[in-house]
Amino acid sequence: MSGTNAYYVYCVVEKSAAAEVLQQKSPVAIEESSALELIDHDDLSSVVSQVSLQDYGEETLAARLTDASWTAIRAMRHEHVVEHFSRRTSTVPLRFGTIYLDRRGIETMLREQEAQLTAILARLKDREEWGVNVYCDRAVLLENITNVSPRLRELTAEAKKASAGQSYLLQKKIETLKTDEAKVEMARAAEQIEKRLADESEGASKLRILKVETTEHGELKAKFAFLVVKSNFKSFHQVAEELARELAQAGIRIELTGPWPAYNFATV
Amino acid sequence: MSSPFEQVMIGSDVEFAQDAELSLLETLDHVLSRGLVITGEITISVADIDLIFVGLNVLVSSVETAHEVLRERGRREIGDIESGQ
Repeated sequence: MSGTNAYYVYCVVEKSAAAEVLQQKSPVAIEESSALELIDHDDLSSVVSQVSLQDYGEETLAARLTDASWTAIRAMRHEHVVEHFSRRTSTVPLRFGTIYLDRRGIETMLREQEAQLTAILARLKDREEWGVNVYCDRAVLLENITNVSPRLRELTAEAKKASAGQSYLLQKKIETLKTDEAKVEMARAAEQIEKRLADESEGASKLRILKVETTEHGELKAKFAFLVVKSNFKSFHQVAEELARELAQAGIRIELTGPWPAYNFATV
Repeated sequence: MSSPFEQVMIGSDVEFAQDAELSLLETLDHVLSRGLVITGEITISVADIDLIFVGLNVLVSSVETAHEVLRERGRREIGDIESGQ
C-alpha cells in the first residue's frame, strides 16, 4: 500500500501497443505533477497516473468535484489522455473518476475483467466513434412544412380543388395542423438519420440531450453516436452529407463530431 | 454558413474557437457520463456526476472559462493530430 498516493485510471489498451504509444509525446496527466504509467496484466495494460489522496480521497474528492472549473479541467485532461491512445490503438475509455488505492487493485481488476475488456478491444479495433447532432430551425421548418409534410401537401391539393367554403375550412385545418406536422416531420427526420447512418456503421446509440441548446442552426433536437469502421468513414460521411442536403429544406442541420474515443460503445 | 453540413473535428483549434462552448459541453458529457464503468476503490457516483453537470452548465456559459478549460485538451503538439488519417 502506498500511503498518500492512489492511481487514477484512464483507459485500457492492448499491452503490445501500450508502451510504444505512451512514448509518443505523452500528454499531461490528470495532475501535472505526475506522469502517465502503465499497469499490466497478461495482454492488457491500463493507463494510469498517480494522484494524491489529499485531493482524490473519498471525502476530499467529493468536495473538489463541486468546483466546476477544477472538475472541467480534470475531465479535459482525462479526455486528452484517452484521445492520445484511441487515435493510435484500440482503446477502452473508462468513465471519469475511477481510482485505485494501489497497483494490486488495478491488476486484480484487469484479471477479473479480462474477458470483457479483451472482447471490447477486439470489437473496437479499427473503428471510431462519430457523434451526430441534429438541429432544427423551427421557423424554416414551419415555413416549409406544407411542402415537406405529405399530409399537408395532400390537404393543400384538396383545398385547391374544393369549393370556396370547403377550401376555407381546409385552410384553417392546415394552419392548426402545421405545428403538429412540424413535430412529426422532425421525428421522422431523426429516425431517418439514425437508420441510414446506422446502416453505414456497426453500432448506433441515441443519446440524451443535456440541455436545450439553441445555436445559429436552431435547436438541438437529437443526438446520436455511431461506431464506424475507419475504412468506411468516407461512405458514412457521404450519407450524412446526402441527408443534410435532403433535410435542409425542412430547416434541419446535421453536425458531425469526432472522431471520439468509443465512449458509447465501451461495453460488450 | 451556407453549407448544410458541418463537421467539427476534434483537435482542430479553428473549430474550437468557433464553437468553444458547445464542444466543451459535448466533451464533458462524453467523459463524465459515458465510458466503461469499472468499480474502483474510489469511484464517482452517478449522483455526483449529475451534481457536477449543474455546475458545469454554469461554467460553460462563460466563454472565457470555456476556452481556458478547452486548452487543457488542446495541449497537443503540432503534428500529433489525425496521424491516422
